[in-house]
Amino acid sequence: MNAVARISAAAGVERIGLRRAVVIGAGSMGGGIAAQLANAGIPVDLLDVPGADPARRNDPAQKGVERQLKVGGFMSPAAAGLVRPGNIADDMPRLAEADWIVEVIVEEVGAKRALYRQIDAVRKTGSLVSSNTSTILRRALLEGMPRAFASDFVITHFFNPPRVMQLVEIVSGDENPAAVIGTARDYCETALGKTTVDCRDTPGFIANRIGCYALAVAAIEAIRQGVSVEEADAVMMALGAPRTGVFGVLDLIGLDLIPHVWGSLMSALPDADELQDFDLPGTKLVQDLLAAGRLGRKSGEGFYRLTPQRTKQALDLATQDYRDARPFDLGQLPGGGKDLAALLESDDRLGRYAWTVFANLVGYVARIADDISLDRDDIDRAMILGYGWSQGPVALARRYDGARLSARFAAEGRALPARLLEAAPVRAGGGTTAARLSIASLREKGKAVVENEAASLWDMGEGIACLQLHTKLNSFAPAVFSVLEASLEHVRSSFSGLVLGNDDPRAFSAGADLRAFLGMIERKDWAALDAYIKEGQDLFLRMKYAPFPVVAAAHGLALGGGCEFMLHCDAIVAHAELNAGLPETKVGIIPGWGGGTQLLRRAALNPSVPRGPAANAAAVFDVIWRTSVSTSALDARELGMLLPTDRIVMNRAHLLGAARSFAMELAQNYVVPERASIAVAGRSGYLSLINGVRASRNLGQISEADVAIAEALAGALTGGGTAAAHLDEAQIMTLEREACVGLAKLPATAARIEHMLKTGKPLRN
Amino acid sequence: MTRHAFIAGYVRTPFTFARKGALAGVRPDDLGAHAVRALLERTGVAGEEIEDVVWGCAFPEGEQGLNIGRVVGLQAGLPETTAGMTVNRWCGSSIQAVQVAAGMLLMNAGDAFVAGGTESMSKVPMMGFNVLPNPSWSDEQVEDFVNVGMTAERVSRQFGITREDQDRFALASQAKARAAQKKGLLAREIAPYPLGDTTVAEDGCVRETTLEKLAELKTVFLKGGTVTAGTSSPMTDGASALLVCGEEFARRHGLDLLARVESFAVSGCAPGIMGMGPVEASRKAMSRAGLTMADIDIVEMNEAFAAQAEACRRQLDIPHEKLNIDGGAIALGHPLGATGGRLVGKAASLLRREKGRRALATQCIGGGMGIAMVLEAA
Repeated sequence: MNAVARISAAAGVERIGLRRAVVIGAGSMGGGIAAQLANAGIPVDLLDVPGADPARRNDPAQKGVERQLKVGGFMSPAAAGLVRPGNIADDMPRLAEADWIVEVIVEEVGAKRALYRQIDAVRKTGSLVSSNTSTILRRALLEGMPRAFASDFVITHFFNPPRVMQLVEIVSGDENPAAVIGTARDYCETALGKTTVDCRDTPGFIANRIGCYALAVAAIEAIRQGVSVEEADAVMMALGAPRTGVFGVLDLIGLDLIPHVWGSLMSALPDADELQDFDLPGTKLVQDLLAAGRLGRKSGEGFYRLTPQRTKQALDLATQDYRDARPFDLGQLPGGGKDLAALLESDDRLGRYAWTVFANLVGYVARIADDISLDRDDIDRAMILGYGWSQGPVALARRYDGARLSARFAAEGRALPARLLEAAPVRAGGGTTAARLSIASLREKGKAVVENEAASLWDMGEGIACLQLHTKLNSFAPAVFSVLEASLEHVRSSFSGLVLGNDDPRAFSAGADLRAFLGMIERKDWAALDAYIKEGQDLFLRMKYAPFPVVAAAHGLALGGGCEFMLHCDAIVAHAELNAGLPETKVGIIPGWGGGTQLLRRAALNPSVPRGPAANAAAVFDVIWRTSVSTSALDARELGMLLPTDRIVMNRAHLLGAARSFAMELAQNYVVPERASIAVAGRSGYLSLINGVRASRNLGQISEADVAIAEALAGALTGGGTAAAHLDEAQIMTLEREACVGLAKLPATAARIEHMLKTGKPLRN
Repeated sequence: MTRHAFIAGYVRTPFTFARKGALAGVRPDDLGAHAVRALLERTGVAGEEIEDVVWGCAFPEGEQGLNIGRVVGLQAGLPETTAGMTVNRWCGSSIQAVQVAAGMLLMNAGDAFVAGGTESMSKVPMMGFNVLPNPSWSDEQVEDFVNVGMTAERVSRQFGITREDQDRFALASQAKARAAQKKGLLAREIAPYPLGDTTVAEDGCVRETTLEKLAELKTVFLKGGTVTAGTSSPMTDGASALLVCGEEFARRHGLDLLARVESFAVSGCAPGIMGMGPVEASRKAMSRAGLTMADIDIVEMNEAFAAQAEACRRQLDIPHEKLNIDGGAIALGHPLGATGGRLVGKAASLLRREKGRRALATQCIGGGMGIAMVLEAA
C-alpha cells in the first residue's frame, strides 16, 4: 500500500484526464505498456485470460507484471503496485472505471472483434479504446462494430520495449472526432512520454512497412551480390540503420518470426507491391536456417554466433558455414562511412550493393509515401524512433545530390522519386510537430543573453531565463562559471526566474571537468584546486539563495558536479529517465560542490528516511559510497535526490516547458529560502558509519584507498567531529572541500582519474 | 504459602526470513498481537484476567516503538485496563520478559501475565535506524559492540571451533528442525498467520542442505574467516507469547501448567566474545537452583552463530541429545526480541513431551552478556 501512495501522477497527467487505464493482454507488449502507465503514476488494470488454476485466476496477468519487473519495464519496483492484475472472465466490469482501454491481445481479427464487443458492453461512454495491432487494419478491426465504438477507437502501435522505444504510430479514421485523436495523442505523449506519428490505415503502417522492406532488400541483395554479413551490416549502418545493421537485427528479432512478420505483411499487400519482389521468407537461405533451427540469438546461432570460447563467428552466406567474424567498420567503406555520395558512386562491390539498397529503398518510399503517411517527415520520424535509425530514408535521399539521383534513376529505368525531395505539404491540424519549448526554438528567435564557448543564457519568455551548458556532455569546464556568474546578475535584473536545461539527448550535465582537475593535481597546485572547488561551491550557494527561483530541467546523465548543480535548485523537474548520482569516489575523491551537504538537507526533509542525524548521514553516505546512480527519476526520488515536491515529466520534449511553468509558479511571491541548518551526528555518527566500512574491509572487499575515501566522506557528512548539533551549509561544504583536496593529494586518486580518463572505467586501487 | 511462577501456555507465529519472507510486510505489533490472541484462545483465559503484557523487543523504535508492549496488548484486543511494558535486553529481551513477569508474580504484583516478544527485522534494522555510539569509544569498541558477526569469528579462533565444526553444527540444526517440521512438532506451537487469501502456517527459514553445500559457502564477515550465512542465524520476523501465572490462578481457570520458573541469571563478558555469554549465565542459574548440567534434561540454547553455540556447548558439557532437539535458530530463525520466549516456551513444552524434569533456556547477548533460566516440570 505504501508503494501506491508513493507514486503520484507525473506532471501534466492530471490535466489530460487520464485517471485510470486498462490494458488487456499481458504479454511483453501489454505488460510493458501497463508498466509505462504505472511509471506515470496511473493506476492500471492488466487483464489476461483466466489461469487454469481456479484459485489463481489472475496468474497470467501476474506473470506479465513479474516479467516487467525482471526486464526493467518499471522505473521503480514500487510502480508495480499500481498495476492490478485481473482476468477477462471475472474483471471486465473494471473497464467501467477506465478512461483508456488498450487492447494488446493475439493478432487475430476475430478474437479482437469479439473482445471489442465485450469492451463496448461495459466501458464508460467516451472512454478511449485503442489496439496495439501491428498487422491488422483499423477498418478490418471495426467491421460490424457500432459507430459510437468506432468514433472512440484508434490504433496505438507501440514498439518493443515500450519504456524505451519512443514511437507510437496512431491510426485514426474519418469516424474519429478531432478531440478523440487529440486525446489519444495526449495519452501517448504526456502520460507515456512517447512521440506519436499519424499513419494512414495501410498494412504495416509506416515503420514496419519501410523497415521490413529495407531489411528484405538488404538481406536478399547481399546474398545475390556476394556481400558478407559484416559488410552488409556496415553498409546498412552507413545508410542510417543502428549498429546491428541488417543481419545482426534479424538475429535479434529471431529468424522464426520472419515467416510471420514478413509473410503477413506480404499477404496484406497487393501483388504489385515491391515488397513482393524481395521475398525474405521464401529465400532459400532463410528456409535452410529455419530448418536447421538456427533462429538467431534465441537459439544461440543465426547469421552470427558466439563460440564456446566467446569468439564471434559469422555465417558465410554462400556456403552456410560459420567462419571467424571479420570485423568491418564504417571507416573501411568507400567514403569512410560518412560521405554518402562517395559510397553510392563507388564502382566496387560494396558501392554497388549500397546503391542497390539505397535506390530500392528511396524508390519504394517515394512511391508509397503519400499512401502511408500524412507527412513525409513522419516517415523519417517513425524510422528513427521506431527502428533506431540515425536518419530516415527521406533525409537520406536528400543527402544525395538531387540531379545525380534523378539521372541515375532515369538511366536504370527506375521511377523518378523527385516528389520525395519536395517539401511536404503543410498538414491541417493534428500531428506532433507543434513547436515545443526548446533551446533550438529559442535560438531561432534570437541571440543568447550571455554566451561563451561553454554556456549560454537564453530568454525563454514569460520572464524566465534558461542557462544552457554546451560543453562535451555539458560538463563544468571552468568557462561555465563566468557565464553562471553573469547569469545570476542578468536574471536578478531582468528576469523573474531561472531554468537550468538543454536540448541534449544524453546529458543534463556529466559533472566537473576531470581533465582540468587532473591538471591541477599533476601540478600539485593545491591552492588552485581548492579555489576551483570553492568557486563552484560559492556560485552554487549564490544561485541557491538568489532572489529568484531556480528550477533544474534534469534528464539523462546528471552526475557528480552536474548532480550537485541540480541539487542546489529550488526545485527539480526531471524527465522520467534520469540517471543522477554522485560517483566521485570512483575517481578517488568525494563530491566537493556541496552534493553531500544538499543530500543531508534533503534527507532531513524526506519522509521516507528515518529521522535522526546518524540516520540521515547513513542514508547519504550509502548513496555516495555505493556510487548509486538512479535508473529513473522515481529511483532518484528513492535515493533521496528528488523530493516529493519535485516534479517528473514523462516526455523529454515537455521538459523545458514544464520547468519554465514551475519557475513561473515559484516566482509569484518568491521568498528566498532561509539558510539551511543541518543536523550533524558528530563523532558518534562517524563511528557508526566507519563501523560499516570496517565490515567491508574485514571481508577484503575494499582497499586502503577506499578506506581513506570512506573516512573522509564520513567525516564530512557527520560534521568533522564537531560537538555542535547543527552546522550551516557553508561549514559542511568547507569540510567537503578540505576532504576532497586531501584525497586529491593521494597517489591513488591521480591514478584513478587517469585511468577513468583513459578507459572510461573506474580503477580499483 | 510460597508463591511460584509457572508457564501455562506458549504460542508463536511462524518465523520467516526478514525482507524476503512471507511476514516481511507485517508490522511487528500486529505479529505480537496475533501471538497474544492465539495464546489466550488456546488457554481460554479472558483478557481481563491479565495484569500486564511484558514484551521483549531488541530495537524498540519505528514500528516497534511507542512502547510496543502496550500497543500489542491493545491490538490483541486486551481490555484497556490491562497494562503493557517493553523490555529491552537485546537478544535476551523475551527471556527477560518472562523473568520480569515471574518476578512481579512472586512479589505479589499480579496473578497472570502475558510475556513474550516481537521483532520485525524487515521493518527495523538490527542496531536500529540511528546508531549513535558514545563518541569516546574507539573504532574497535564500536565493532565489538555492533558487528556481532566478528565476535563469532573471534570465538571460533579463541575456542578452536573450526569451519567444519560449525558446518556440522549447522547441518544438525537444520536436520533436527526439518524432522520436527515433518512430524508436525513445530506446528503445535505455531499460530498460523492469515495474510490476504493465504495463511502462513510454517516456519520459512528451515532448509534442506548438506555438508558439501555448507562447505561451499563464502564467509560473510571476514576474508579468510570461518563464519558463513549457513552457520549464522538468519535475519527473521516473528513473535512469541507465554502465559505466566501462579498456582492458584491456574487452578481457578483449569489451566494445564507446563513448568515452574526455578531460577534465573544474567551475566557479562567481554563484548568482543559476546557469544560466550551463556556459559556464565547458565552456571549461575543452575547453581542458584542447586543443579549441575547432569540434572538438566532439556537445553534450549540460542544459536546466534554455530561458532558460539558449539563453544558454549563444549564449555558447559551439554550432551548433543539434550540440545535444541527440534532444531535451533540457525534453522528456525532468530527474530531477536521473540527468540527468548521461544526458548522458554519450547523448553517448557519439551519437558512435557520428553517427560523430563528440568530444562535450561539460555542465550548470548550483543554487547557481551548472557541470560539463562532454569525450569522444573510442573
